Amino acid sequence: MAKWGMVIDLDKCTGCQACTTACSMENNTLPGETWQDVLYYNAGENPSGQMKWLPRPCMQCENPSCVHVCPTRATYKDPDAGGIVFVDWNKCIGCKYCMIACPYGVRFYADEKPLIEPDIRDVFPGENGQLWSPPYQNPEEDWRRGIGIQPAGVVSKCTFCYHKVRHAPEGVADLDEDNPEVKEYVPACVRTCAPKARYFGDLDNPESQVNQLIGDKHGVRLKDHTGNKPQVYYLGAGAGIPAFTPADRENDA
Amino acid sequence: MSTSMKGMKPTTHDNALQGPVGWGLLVIAAVVLLASLGYVLAQLMANGHTAFNTSSVLPWGQPIATYVYFALASSGLGLVASLPLVFGFKAYYPLAKRCIFLAFALLISGMGVLALELGHPFRMLWVIPTNLQVQSAMFWMGVFYSLDLLFLLWKFGKLQGGHWDSKTARQVGIASFIGVLLASGNLALIFGMMSMRPFWFDALLPVYFYATGITSGVAVLILLTYLAYGFRRERMPEALQRLMSGALPRLFAALVGATLLFIVVRAITGLYSNNPEVNLVWSEYLLESGLYLTTLVVGLLLPFVLLLGGLRNRPGIQVLTALLVSLAMFAERFYFVVGGQVIPLFKGTWEPNLIAYTPSATEWALTLVGVSLCLVLFLLGEKFLNLGDMPPQIAQAPASASAGTA
Repeated sequence: MAKWGMVIDLDKCTGCQACTTACSMENNTLPGETWQDVLYYNAGENPSGQMKWLPRPCMQCENPSCVHVCPTRATYKDPDAGGIVFVDWNKCIGCKYCMIACPYGVRFYADEKPLIEPDIRDVFPGENGQLWSPPYQNPEEDWRRGIGIQPAGVVSKCTFCYHKVRHAPEGVADLDEDNPEVKEYVPACVRTCAPKARYFGDLDNPESQVNQLIGDKHGVRLKDHTGNKPQVYYLGAGAGIPAFTPADRENDA
Repeated sequence: MSTSMKGMKPTTHDNALQGPVGWGLLVIAAVVLLASLGYVLAQLMANGHTAFNTSSVLPWGQPIATYVYFALASSGLGLVASLPLVFGFKAYYPLAKRCIFLAFALLISGMGVLALELGHPFRMLWVIPTNLQVQSAMFWMGVFYSLDLLFLLWKFGKLQGGHWDSKTARQVGIASFIGVLLASGNLALIFGMMSMRPFWFDALLPVYFYATGITSGVAVLILLTYLAYGFRRERMPEALQRLMSGALPRLFAALVGATLLFIVVRAITGLYSNNPEVNLVWSEYLLESGLYLTTLVVGLLLPFVLLLGGLRNRPGIQVLTALLVSLAMFAERFYFVVGGQVIPLFKGTWEPNLIAYTPSATEWALTLVGVSLCLVLFLLGEKFLNLGDMPPQIAQAPASASAGTA
């Protein structure tokens, strides 16, 4: 079985947020429930100050702390699904410990105050146990893997678009949106990326483009000191996030 | 019960809560419980957890802090009860039964609050036992606190039957003591093992939880013991009077001092560290908060000073300091739980500053559910279970026999 991994080239990423939009359309996420978003921040000071940005999906860690803390095995890493970390919505009790334990902040408890008004959950009230029921939905709902629209009281997260990836032919090295054979199986954020900053493939396949890019272009993992060992790698300048400083204090020094 | 009380002086029966005052307070507490629980349930049914002000960037708020407060106060009282029942500090016998019952009431209240915080509390009852995720500290929290609850009930049953010193009572007492250590120590590790949350990450956090748990437990115990005797020490049994004017206030002073010491060393370490995830919690959140500083100064430092000298034996001072420390320890739990989450995991546009969190009306009501449930259980206990009971030899012993065993 493959070990699915993603490579994001920050030298090519323009911060356009097409990935964020494609993800929320594909997975019917709520405003603020951004399984994939782009962080923007300033680093340094003039005259060498920089504007930076960083796309942030779930890292699908090899050693996921969210999985270790879950008291019910609702969140689990599935080696038979390319090592993707899923949440079983039939088992999740909504204790939110995984959200505490995730160093990357990519888990969501959508049963919270709406980010924007009107609350879209009131516009499309939930049916059949769903938290909300918009007219268009991903037909491949799978609550055991946290795919589709979640019920109330559970945690949701990026699934590497497993409902698409799972249809990929056995043994394929890369899911490249430019390859007509496999483009339907490419995760939404990768497929939509206009500057082609994202690559998706099998980290266990020595021939895969993702492995070559990581090797040749010095791929790094975000917050590698946490030991979580993400299956998402970043290329180019920018994966080093500056230490947090409150925005209203930045000019005090 | 009455046989074990035989021969005691009539003052021992002066429990203010067994009369009409007790009924009055019980009715008030029950009304508050029903009203707050009704409000919380109505909000949760109408709005789900959007009724809380927690969010995906700050998932654990005041309900979790309330649970931690109750669970640790319960554990603290479990440990205090083991002073006479396991370690032979006989001076504490007059409070042992009340300690154990109160530990039970606090734990039930904490568990009730936690259940209403969860997304699926009923699902928890079957998915945790059937999935056995032994890697999770939260799994062990369920195991150890369930055992703790069981042992507390069992031990209380023994005391209720008048078995103060039988072999089984002692064995159950030891099991309960170990259960309490495991439960509250493990609760500490739920936070302490989170290396990605440096404000909490601390292998010795269980020690901090034990010490501060006893502090909050003893504060609640002093307050409610005085309530039981109408805030008049002369109505207490003699052995209890000796304890309340001897060993207990000294212990309480030491506990408040230890709590302050813990907070100060945590603050110094935090402020010294360059790591913003620790440093900024202290410099920009805790020490910037007037409320937090007030709880430290008025809720812990002032009581500590009052308890240092001869004043500590005065009933009014004891009630006042117990009240202040109970409230300050609640604030301490709140700032501990929230403080671990206020620094965003990533610097960025979406969270440019520290994450703001103020509990909603529903979250406050949920805290009130815990407090009123605990009071209802306590008042029922005082009324029907003779919580002031103690072994006859302690009740009848002259002052010199039990002095100096603290």
